Amino acid sequence: MWLPLLGLLFGISLGLLTDIEIPIVYESYLSIAVLAALDTIFGGIRAQLQQVYDDHVFVTGFFFNIALAAGLAFLGVHLGVDLYLAAVFAFGVRLFQNIAIIRRILLSKWNDKKAKKSEETVQ
Amino acid sequence: MKRKMNTPFIIVLFIIGFMLAMQYNTVKNPKQRDTRDLWDIRRELSLEKQRHSELLANIRSLNTTISKYDNLNNDSPDRVLRETVQELKQEAGLTVIKSPGLVLSVDAAMEAKALGQEVPNISPDLMVKLVNDINRFKGNAVVIDGKRIVQTTAIRDINGQTTVNSLAVRTPPFSLIISTSTLADAKKLASYLEASSIADEFYIDNLTLSIGEPQKKLALDAYDRSFENKFLSETKKGE
Repeated sequence: MWLPLLGLLFGISLGLLTDIEIPIVYESYLSIAVLAALDTIFGGIRAQLQQVYDDHVFVTGFFFNIALAAGLAFLGVHLGVDLYLAAVFAFGVRLFQNIAIIRRILLSKWNDKKAKKSEETVQ
Repeated sequence: MKRKMNTPFIIVLFIIGFMLAMQYNTVKNPKQRDTRDLWDIRRELSLEKQRHSELLANIRSLNTTISKYDNLNNDSPDRVLRETVQELKQEAGLTVIKSPGLVLSVDAAMEAKALGQEVPNISPDLMVKLVNDINRFKGNAVVIDGKRIVQTTAIRDINGQTTVNSLAVRTPPFSLIISTSTLADAKKLASYLEASSIADEFYIDNLTLSIGEPQKKLALDAYDRSFENKFLSETKKGE
């Protein structure tokens, strides 16, 4: 549980300390990549909780989503249509759905635990 | 199962963290927008070009000196050194200059004379402005009332007297001699001074500035004192 968070913290501190900046033209690509990555992470957590998690699906999903999002943004820039909005919409909706599912699973688990405890005390 | 899941999560979260930090860096420090227009850039470019040509001229003159040293090394190193010393002295203002130039004369204004007013001394500020104007337009060396302007010259007020090199400047009339590289430069300087507002500034102080004809040969006195060197000392041989 703590190791992934440590990885996140390590990534953030490394990024802040190295002071890397990307050209403003590519800023939208990065933001959409971050969104895709977040979507993948929450999808992974959901899958884990539903016990359907698979390493290959997770890793390929991560890279594929990022590439697809950046590709859409790139295509949109060249066609003059804001295609990246499609990616933002899709990822945004999925992000909310995944978080909602995670919340429900966690809630039901918590309720189960509570019920068990109360049963134990009754017995 | 749990351990298996951890590794990809760590890596992916690490990448997300890194991307977030990069995004934060980019958003936090927006690049300063370049608001210069074409003419600003052209002006800057011309300044840089001027500096470039000045540097090139310096390099050329130093190269000439080096080649002189190289060529005459065997015959008379003495002579070359003496030449260099002479050049440096000339640059410092320790030699008499004979070159084309211009004579300016400062006198009291006619109105002041007619009304019997006291002839005013020239103020240090006005003198500095005049010298700056001359320097800005290719005046090589300036002598004010017999006092040569050098790098260390101070034009200032001492006990109500305007002084150059700590020597008082006479009450007008007195003259300024300016040396230029060529006669054409002297002509240009004369027209520049005529066109500038410096004469009006003199008139406000009840003085007149008359700009003489450019002359082919003028003699400028040398700086007649020695330079005091407070901070540099001679290195002994072999040290």
